[in-house]
Amino acid sequence: MTFALRTLAFRLLQAAGVALVVGVMSFLMMRAMPGDMAFRIAAARYGYDLASADLAEAVRTELNLDAGPLVLFGQWMADLARLDLGRSMVSGLPVWEEIAHQLGASLQLAAVALGLSLLIGPPLGIYAGLRAGGRFDRALLVAAAALRAVPQFLLGLVLIVVLAVQLRLLPAAGHGDISHLVLPALTLALGLAAASARIARDAMAAFAASPAHAFACTKGLSDGQVLLHHGLRAIAAPLLTYLGLQFVLLAEGVVVVETIFGWPGIGHALIHAVFHRDVPMVQGTALVMGLSFVLLNTLIDLAVRRIDPREVRA
Amino acid sequence: MTTRHLGFGLLGALVALALIGPLIEPLGPFKQTLLRALAGPDALAWFGYDHLGRSMFARLSQALRLSLTIAFAATATAAALGIFLGALASWRGGWLDRGLSLLADSVLALPALLMVLMMGVILPSTPLAFWAGLAAVQWIEFFRLTRSVARSQLASPAVEAARLQGFGPVWVFRRILWPEIGPMLRTATAFGVANAIAAIAALGFVSVGMRAPTPELGLMMVELLPSWREAPFALLQPVAACFALLLSLNLIAGGRE
Amino acid sequence: MLSRLSLAALIAALPALPALADPATLAIAAPFEIKAADPLLSGDIFLKLDVMETLVNSDATGALLPGLADRWSVSEDGLSWRFHIRPGVTFHDASPLTAEAAAAALTWSWKKEGILAKAPVAAITAEGEEVVITLKTAFAALPAFLAEYRTGILAPAAYGADGTVTALIGTGAFRVTVLEPPLRLEAVRFDGYWGGPAKLEAIHYAGVSRAETRALMAESGDAGLVVNLDPASVTRLASVKTVTVHSVSLPRVLLLKLNAAAPFFDTVAERRALSLAIDRAGLAQAVLRYPAAATQMFPPAAGAWHDPALAPLGYDPEAAKAAFAAAGWVPGPDGILQHDGQPFAVELLTYPDRPELPLTAAVLDQMLREVGIAVTINSTNSSEIPAKHAAGTLQMALFARNFALVPDPIGTLMQDYAPTGDWGAMGWDNPAFTAAVRKIAAEGGTAAEKAALSATLQADLPVVPIAWYQQTAAVSNSVKGIVIDPYERTFGLKSAEIVQ
Repeated sequence: MTFALRTLAFRLLQAAGVALVVGVMSFLMMRAMPGDMAFRIAAARYGYDLASADLAEAVRTELNLDAGPLVLFGQWMADLARLDLGRSMVSGLPVWEEIAHQLGASLQLAAVALGLSLLIGPPLGIYAGLRAGGRFDRALLVAAAALRAVPQFLLGLVLIVVLAVQLRLLPAAGHGDISHLVLPALTLALGLAAASARIARDAMAAFAASPAHAFACTKGLSDGQVLLHHGLRAIAAPLLTYLGLQFVLLAEGVVVVETIFGWPGIGHALIHAVFHRDVPMVQGTALVMGLSFVLLNTLIDLAVRRIDPREVRA
Repeated sequence: MTTRHLGFGLLGALVALALIGPLIEPLGPFKQTLLRALAGPDALAWFGYDHLGRSMFARLSQALRLSLTIAFAATATAAALGIFLGALASWRGGWLDRGLSLLADSVLALPALLMVLMMGVILPSTPLAFWAGLAAVQWIEFFRLTRSVARSQLASPAVEAARLQGFGPVWVFRRILWPEIGPMLRTATAFGVANAIAAIAALGFVSVGMRAPTPELGLMMVELLPSWREAPFALLQPVAACFALLLSLNLIAGGRE
Repeated sequence: MLSRLSLAALIAALPALPALADPATLAIAAPFEIKAADPLLSGDIFLKLDVMETLVNSDATGALLPGLADRWSVSEDGLSWRFHIRPGVTFHDASPLTAEAAAAALTWSWKKEGILAKAPVAAITAEGEEVVITLKTAFAALPAFLAEYRTGILAPAAYGADGTVTALIGTGAFRVTVLEPPLRLEAVRFDGYWGGPAKLEAIHYAGVSRAETRALMAESGDAGLVVNLDPASVTRLASVKTVTVHSVSLPRVLLLKLNAAAPFFDTVAERRALSLAIDRAGLAQAVLRYPAAATQMFPPAAGAWHDPALAPLGYDPEAAKAAFAAAGWVPGPDGILQHDGQPFAVELLTYPDRPELPLTAAVLDQMLREVGIAVTINSTNSSEIPAKHAAGTLQMALFARNFALVPDPIGTLMQDYAPTGDWGAMGWDNPAFTAAVRKIAAEGGTAAEKAALSATLQADLPVVPIAWYQQTAAVSNSVKGIVIDPYERTFGLKSAEIVQ
């Protein structure tokens, strides 16, 4: 119980830290921006065909941009303290409403990608770890390094051409139907699988060399039983911890994959918000991304603790 | 071990291409010959021409130079900063340690994409923004590494004795901490550089990285992507360069003891 | 835990794998992102998808047609316009289209800096079955302005108390069922449509930013209509049997804006010399890959504004060098032109939203370097162009300008060249030209008057035309009745159908 409390306290502190860092960064951004914020927002709202000095002036008046960065920043921070993310300067919709749909889409994609990668990666890693140093093990190392090095857009393009255009098995791109999820998720999953295969392989190799493994074998358990009862437990903890950290790296991959497959997502929202100087959106998206990372890792901490009670945080 | 040597060999070849390539090729990365757009290799452009008739060899070697420079500079800065702060945190302990750890944990939760994008707004030039943004993300890895090593080492009798003898923090760092941290740095640095290169290319691909006409691997991929059916070899060149770069670094990092 | 969750999601995904497009549903892929239900922000998409309509329509030549207004008239003095609202039109929420509803929607757009804010509007009121627009001065282009998407008519229930648009309730042939900005919109046939129900049962719109992906969607049959293809994909799709590629010339022009107040471009001779240094044919072939070199400002699609008799803009780098030398610009030791010790070094602003722009900038950079001009390309946010125009610091800018913002180029000319504008002339003042533009906007103009304005633009070159755009689209062979509109107002969905 005390462990859970300590975890929670630590994660709460981390969440507060995230909010602080996002706040400071947004403030710096506001300060660094020259006086063209109104122009940026006007261009974002009305497109490049219509953006003009008149519209920029209208935006400036409407959003009270002349108040200066300090006042605006104070406003946003006050909103945030009331758990109100404010309204997007571009669409005028509440930030939360804007993000919810895109965050949902990103999480859906990331979750399915993680699931797929777990189906592909760890089994290969376990097999390699059981025969560490063998031919399969070495081949897997190179294959995993290679897979991680292939740019994701190329992987995505190849998958579209093969599975959608040639074989007509899946839709090429789009969003809305659940079948649209498979190709982008698979693209992401292959890179993740390469990483999780290596983690599983290392954990398995360590376990295979450990006294626990030898003891289980002397008990007369078959290879499969040893793996099931002890091995999985040994690899689950490092794998989960690793995946928790991967989540943040996933954000980059997700942006590229989302662009290729026309999938709405939080990364897309963030890029647009920064480009359009939509500060409430930047703050909202960054905060939501950071906090979901914290939440996910809290859950993983608790899960790892249940799987392997020996694990103690530093 | 052999995979690591392979990695070093590959990296060495790419660095050589980046360093020597621009010096020996005749066209330069910007010279256009529109009539030769997407044409194959000839005596002047050894790797063929891109969609605007610019030499692929010249652009590729320049792009490698840029990616490698930014990635190494960012990782080196991150390593210096991370190791310094890690050593400082564990040496001083107390609120400084807790504060820095909290900062590290908070920044860890934010994607590098965000850092680079925000730096892009704050700083005037894109390479500078990449350098600062990537360093702002990567120092955490080095910080955590140093801190965990230093915490166990600083409690050891050797350090206790050194302190009693009047040796300062610099001596302790050089003689006691560095021999422990040094070997771990190779893996962390290789992964750091690999991640930096992947991030630069990924951001170039979503049009928020380097700006045309600067040769950059991700940007070259986007520019050549439309011609992927007519000139697959042109597109495959930046892809292969990026692939070889990441592969070499992954091999260097991953060749386990 | 997470893995179990994602496994559940994965298993949920599996049975739906063979989901193929519904035969009576048309899937559309285009690069445009939906921002919100607000017609000021995303009305262009709603208009093209036949979800929302305007009082006035236009055909493929830009001629005006009745829309939600079935007829209109103007008073003798040109100050009072009466638009008669088509009877029997209902919104998607079953409420009737009344003159009051239309007037309210137009007033909302006008007050929110829509296109009507650019017209001399004094008041918009409803009288019986008519919307009456009172003007401060005569303005013949008003009906054309009412064809623009920002004047789209939504139901009274669509507007919230605080002036925001809370729902997308239009009068079009399709009723929106799913609106998920930024990438997704779904709509079904609206059986109460005044023009008779559409043949398509539903439309699914997907915003897909990468042109390669869109082309693959056309090739794989995932999208029956794909808009805005990249040049390489056009070549490729031409050999795919299941789709047909359509292209039409657009009144959209690739322009090089010059600051005519800067010492580099303050004389006509300098601007002409610059124009001579540009190999438009080579550039169009390399970047746009269709023969689209602009010989004058207006493309043939712009009707009377295009004058085939005008001497075309040419390419002659030697003549360009000579003209620069005559204007006092002589090559320095580094090959860069100099005038009184000042080097000819300029910044070229452009933006990457349209992928051909940075490419064109790169090609222009090399062409101008040939005659001794040092160019620094700054590919940045599109808003930098109006921002630097306002600050007076802009030197050169490259962009794509749409002359069909309203189905009459006079609307764009008024904003850009009478006498200057964010996306047009800068530091240029030609009082005769300005007066002529204002006169045509107020009273309408003859073909000769329009051609005379084109000739002035050709002679004075306040901006340098580079190329004329083409709109390209890939349409599945099973889809009939799609319209590729040069004025970018419609896809013709209300009369399109899917045949087997």
